[in-house]
Amino acid sequence: MFKYILQRLIIFLPTLLAVSLVAFALSKLAPGDPVELLLKGQASESGQKASVQAYEEVARRLGLDLPVFYGALSTAAYPDTLYKIVKKSERQNLDKLISQYGNWPQISGYYLALKQLEANTQNIVADSASYLAKNTVSRQVKELLLNHKDGKITYALAEIQKIMPDSGVITQLKPLTNQLNAGYNKIKAEATPHKNYIPDIKWYGFKNQYHRWITNFFKGNFGYSYLDSRPVGSKIWDALRWTLIINFISIILAYLIAIPIGVSTAVKKDTPYDRIVTTLLFILYSLPSFWIGTLLIVFFTTPEYSPFLDWFPTGGVTDLPESTPFFTRALDIMHHLVLPVFCVTYGSFAFISRQMRGGMLTVVRQDYIRTAKAKGLEEKTIVWKHAFRNSLFPVITLFAYIFPAAIAGAVTIEVIYSIPGMGKLAVDSIIARDWPVVFTILMFAAILTMIGNLAADLLYALADPRVSYSKK
Amino acid sequence: MFFRKKKEQQIETAIQQRAADQSYWANVKRQFWKNRVAVWSLRVFYVILFIAIFADFLSNERPLVCKLDGKLLFPVLKQYTVSAGLSSWDEKFVTTPWHEHHYEFAVWPPIPYSSTTIDKKNRNFTSPFNKQEVKSWRWHHLLGTDELGRDVAAGMIHGTRIAISVGVIAMTIASVIGILLGSLAGYFGDDNLQMSRIRLILNLLGLVLGFFYAFVARAYALGAGAEESGFMVPFLISLGIFTAIMVAANLLASVLKQVPGLSSRVNIAADILVMRLIEVFNSIPGLLLILSIVALTKPSIINVMIIIGFISWTSIARFIRAELLRIRNLEYIEAAQAMGFSEARIIFRHAIPNALTPVLITIAFGIASAILTEAFLSFLGIGVAAEEVTWGSLLNLARTKFQAWWLAIFPGTAIFITVTIFNLIGEGLTDALDPRLKQ
Repeated sequence: MFKYILQRLIIFLPTLLAVSLVAFALSKLAPGDPVELLLKGQASESGQKASVQAYEEVARRLGLDLPVFYGALSTAAYPDTLYKIVKKSERQNLDKLISQYGNWPQISGYYLALKQLEANTQNIVADSASYLAKNTVSRQVKELLLNHKDGKITYALAEIQKIMPDSGVITQLKPLTNQLNAGYNKIKAEATPHKNYIPDIKWYGFKNQYHRWITNFFKGNFGYSYLDSRPVGSKIWDALRWTLIINFISIILAYLIAIPIGVSTAVKKDTPYDRIVTTLLFILYSLPSFWIGTLLIVFFTTPEYSPFLDWFPTGGVTDLPESTPFFTRALDIMHHLVLPVFCVTYGSFAFISRQMRGGMLTVVRQDYIRTAKAKGLEEKTIVWKHAFRNSLFPVITLFAYIFPAAIAGAVTIEVIYSIPGMGKLAVDSIIARDWPVVFTILMFAAILTMIGNLAADLLYALADPRVSYSKK
Repeated sequence: MFFRKKKEQQIETAIQQRAADQSYWANVKRQFWKNRVAVWSLRVFYVILFIAIFADFLSNERPLVCKLDGKLLFPVLKQYTVSAGLSSWDEKFVTTPWHEHHYEFAVWPPIPYSSTTIDKKNRNFTSPFNKQEVKSWRWHHLLGTDELGRDVAAGMIHGTRIAISVGVIAMTIASVIGILLGSLAGYFGDDNLQMSRIRLILNLLGLVLGFFYAFVARAYALGAGAEESGFMVPFLISLGIFTAIMVAANLLASVLKQVPGLSSRVNIAADILVMRLIEVFNSIPGLLLILSIVALTKPSIINVMIIIGFISWTSIARFIRAELLRIRNLEYIEAAQAMGFSEARIIFRHAIPNALTPVLITIAFGIASAILTEAFLSFLGIGVAAEEVTWGSLLNLARTKFQAWWLAIFPGTAIFITVTIFNLIGEGLTDALDPRLKQ
């Protein structure tokens, strides 16, 4: 048994690794720039120079100035220092240039000239004569930084050249623009696209973004949300409370109702009662909870269809402020949670009832039950004392399956009823590309699923001595 | 869809316990036909399949047959050639909506709207029972309209097609992966899969090189270059390059195998590898993962199908493995081996066909769960293009307007019925496979 647990625990590691790699890869493949997302919250147009500085500072804080991974399989044309360019859009543009021309030395010369031009243009104090020209130049420079297609680059270079001769102060940029033009011509003249077909393995060492991320995760430091800069841990904890409340209530309710129903249908097997209840349970089990959730919210939360059906609030967890007395507030929360709890409950309730019925039926067939009947024991005693106890334990072990499923299942209900729980947090963060939160939720969900599966298997073995994991 | 694991375990043990039965397939069929509910579910499935296949003829803004300016036209049929790029519409059909021409005569589909047709006169959620601004009863919106004035009945029919294709395509992908890996694990076990050392090395090398030339070196063609020309063609070229490199590696291995020293054989523990992979996949929180992948890719229903397929192959692999563990010890396989048939031929021609029945169960349950997942994704508005009408997206509209009960009831019923009949067919197959499981 111990060996089995150890074996299973060893599986945890590659799984977590796989999940973390997938989550990390997704976060890297995602369009959009996390730094800009963060800066949007504190947008202050205090000059371009300041914004560049702010960008670099945020990027450094997020560790985005590090290489992405331990190593990479890339082309020989690709330099191993490209990660040092922190601005994501510029880096991606250089990447495309490399894929086209395959000559990094020339491209880097062009890029440096471009950056120099950008800085110098900003430093120029424009008078009324050169004001327009300065604007044109800085706009075209921006275009150049983000474009890789020959047509667009040539056009932008030509525009800059056109504005040069008659624009006062701007003419002092002349040597730089010439250098830029020469640089671009050099890229095209000395292109080595064949380098893109030579594989090259690069090794960056342990100082990389993934390593930083994963070690911090295991140290319990989950990072900060891109959206509101709150610590991810506290964000998740706030959300987890609601999910746990809903799921605990619903699981307890499900067991409380399901067990008597399962037993009674098994006892009255093949009677009309059994047939009707079993069919109803099957239908309940097949009803998609997001449909039932929608139906309930449409029909029972507004006076739209009949003033007598406006029973529940439409969504959220409470309308009252924190300062209201505890009891009133708790009552209000209860009122809000009735429909969500119902939606989470009915599926697992139907499932547990079906399992309970099945378990009872197998036990009732056993010889010792027939013996009990033969010696004249009362029906009630047989059912509750002899059969029920033996069929109960496997049903309890279902708990371990249900719990991780409930967390995942909460997504539906929380979104429909706008409950600020884990599921809603997950969906919202995924849509907003708030990767630190998504990453942490994915990892926790994986850990929870694995622990649930392991616990279920172990409980199963405990419940049924015939199941053994130590053999083989 | 979350509690299937328990059931799977039961079925798996049943497969292992079952003795070889000669007229097995016939027996399964007989048992299945005894189950009236399952048989009726199958009939409902045929109806749904019919709707899915002939969706264009059941609901379309174009007439089936019409006579315009003395010419006989078949616009619904012609649409197929137009979307294949073989012909094009006349100017007048592009500029004027189909409903507004003066036909000499026209036969319309049962529902004379497409899922995307916008009826401007009946915007803002027109109820099926209220008065609608239509020419005659023939143009009545039977199931009402949505905010833009799109016909809900047409959306439901289009949604049927999407739901069925999600189920079928996702499960086809899952079956291919599951059957390949599962039969590998089941047939070879831990110590029967051997290959020459050089083949192993060359295969690993081929994987790296194939990945490099197909995807790394072509990153530009797949990414920025694909912006204009579309992603599919460069991607297929990449796949072709990858396959070619793997084939070349294996051909080279076959030649180099003759060289002494390179031909020593290594054992590959196929069963352990596959089972561990399955465990890893089972521990991944599927719905969340699908959500985060789908949210990244360009909204397209095809992506959703592919991702669902790639995540749900594990139960099929487990079933096939359990079956092949049993089959590989049967005499006819031994006979085939003795006759010197190649392993590939034995697996694909002799072993797998006999192991497919239990896989049907998982496929039935899998289709139900794939349809549910897709409906849920489009319900959240993730992964499906905004103009695409599916059952889930229709149901989602009900949340924006509580008065529109028809949007809450009809799409949900369709999801429920489809999911339920696939579950019932699955249950029926389970019972037919092993009557002892019947509870």
